Amino acid sequence: MAAETPALVLEERAPVSMAQRIKDARLPWVPIAILLIIIFCAAFANLVAPHDPRANDVRNKLQPPFASSEHVLGTDRLGKDMLSRLIFGARTMLQVTAPSMIVAILAGTIVGLVSGYSGRWADSVLMRITDAVLGFPSILVALLIVTYLGTGVWNVMIAIAATQWARFARMIRGEVLAIRDRDFVVLAQIYGVSPGMIVWRHLFPNVINTLMVLTSVSVGQVILLEASLSFLGLGLAPGDPAWGILVAEGREFLTQAWWIALFPGLVITVVVMAFNFFGDWLRDYLDPRLRRAG
Amino acid sequence: MTTYIVRRIGEGLLTLIALSFVVFGSVHLTGDPARFLLPISAEHDESVYEAQKAAYGLDKPFIVQYWNFLIKAVRLDFGQSFTARRPVQEILLERIPATVHLAIAGTVLAIGIGVPLGIISAVRRDTVLDKVCKIFAVFGMAAPQFWVAIMLIIVFAGYWGWLPAFGRGDMTGWFPSWSQIPNMLAHLVLPAFVLALAIIAAIMRLARSAMLEVLDSDYVKFAQVKGMSDRVVIWKHAARNALIPVITFGGISLAGLLNGSVVVEVVFAWPGVGLMLLEGVLSNNFPQVEGAIMVSGAAYILTALVVDILYGYADPRVRMN
Repeated sequence: MAAETPALVLEERAPVSMAQRIKDARLPWVPIAILLIIIFCAAFANLVAPHDPRANDVRNKLQPPFASSEHVLGTDRLGKDMLSRLIFGARTMLQVTAPSMIVAILAGTIVGLVSGYSGRWADSVLMRITDAVLGFPSILVALLIVTYLGTGVWNVMIAIAATQWARFARMIRGEVLAIRDRDFVVLAQIYGVSPGMIVWRHLFPNVINTLMVLTSVSVGQVILLEASLSFLGLGLAPGDPAWGILVAEGREFLTQAWWIALFPGLVITVVVMAFNFFGDWLRDYLDPRLRRAG
Repeated sequence: MTTYIVRRIGEGLLTLIALSFVVFGSVHLTGDPARFLLPISAEHDESVYEAQKAAYGLDKPFIVQYWNFLIKAVRLDFGQSFTARRPVQEILLERIPATVHLAIAGTVLAIGIGVPLGIISAVRRDTVLDKVCKIFAVFGMAAPQFWVAIMLIIVFAGYWGWLPAFGRGDMTGWFPSWSQIPNMLAHLVLPAFVLALAIIAAIMRLARSAMLEVLDSDYVKFAQVKGMSDRVVIWKHAARNALIPVITFGGISLAGLLNGSVVVEVVFAWPGVGLMLLEGVLSNNFPQVEGAIMVSGAAYILTALVVDILYGYADPRVRMN
């Protein structure tokens, strides 16, 4: 019995201060700091970057990194400053992934809510489609879309959204199935609340946690997908500051200028790691079943 | 069991038909292939256009065209590649062995590296080795394949010159002759490792947690109490049971590898279906893209199907669902 008392003890305790709560949450400070830096770079790229990312300076081409204070991370074949291109790359990354993620989340949530709550044939049809999308590797679906719509940022965004919504739909549907027969939903039905209102006021608030966790876990995958598509030359035009494109350009100078490919890839890895760590933390924090294990 | 298999095959067929419909339908949604194929000199000549349409069967109703497409797809007949000026079927038959070799090598590496590392880090929990494995797993899941590939090329092919950087060597087709084997393996090492990296990481985590669970069970403790050596207990009693979910995952990832190889094939100029797909995408070569996607998709569905059925045999709970 002793093991079950802490719940009671907790209620008797004095209100916890904000500082204490933050301390108890054991926030992953390093990942958060990395993500804040990236967001800061993206927002204020023109102020942070030492050079124009598109400005050529052929006299200083292919400068190695850490050799001059002018170009800390070296320059590429046209003398563009690598550090500046990386900083602007953060902006590009957010500009492409954020809107496509938002669309994917919205679409996935709506499909999941409708499918889970309405059940019957709508559920069967929607889930068959969801499974079909989930059944294929994202890169294949993305390639198919880009083939028929053509290359370009917009189409890459469409491709990302089109491959990512399904995971959200599946998860949300599962959550809805678990809560749809609970008392508060049934009572609302008896009371005559319209289905739309039940979904919005009673179901949706209960899936927000899942939504947040799934989002933070997926962001890393989406960044990798976007980088891969850029690398394959399906997104932005060559010369634009996108991390995937930078690595692709570095590929042509493997032996002469290793730094062109090294740094952008390193940045992608670190950012994805930061998102993954943050996602893991958020899952442990928001899911009480896992919290005690952590 | 029979119901399960029949249901699972039905689902697989349905997905395959959905895929073919999407692939076929998107050509029609996004433009008129007959007009696209017109030579520039005859662009305004409607009679040439009509003849072209009839030649490709594009004047028939949608459903008839779709049916013809399906019948031909079964024989891998996707028409002529626009750029290579030869049948897509021919290109596919050349490319499929390369991709399958790569996928098999990737799976072997993923299981061969991931499983032992996972087991060892479970047995040596919280030691330096466990921590190193964990860091490797975190890195493997976050690093973009194309970047790891390039870095490995720089180090192993460029700096040290130990391994070839590109291509498949003098290998063609399915089976190497005895003398070709060393060269073939040398060309396979880097691409297969890159392909396997993320899966190694996932398998390692999976094997570790499954192993930890099993190590805690009564029968393992009993075996230890009986005085059996650690090696026998770990590898014979514990690992065998811990590995069932891991092997399944390995099977599913083989299915993924058949497709995940687009990026890897491009970086290593590996002459497989993935490279063929990207070449097709970049040159608006619809027949080639259709062929490559249909083959990859069908391979994926089939592998997943086989894995699911095997899993159903291994674990009765799966069939009950």
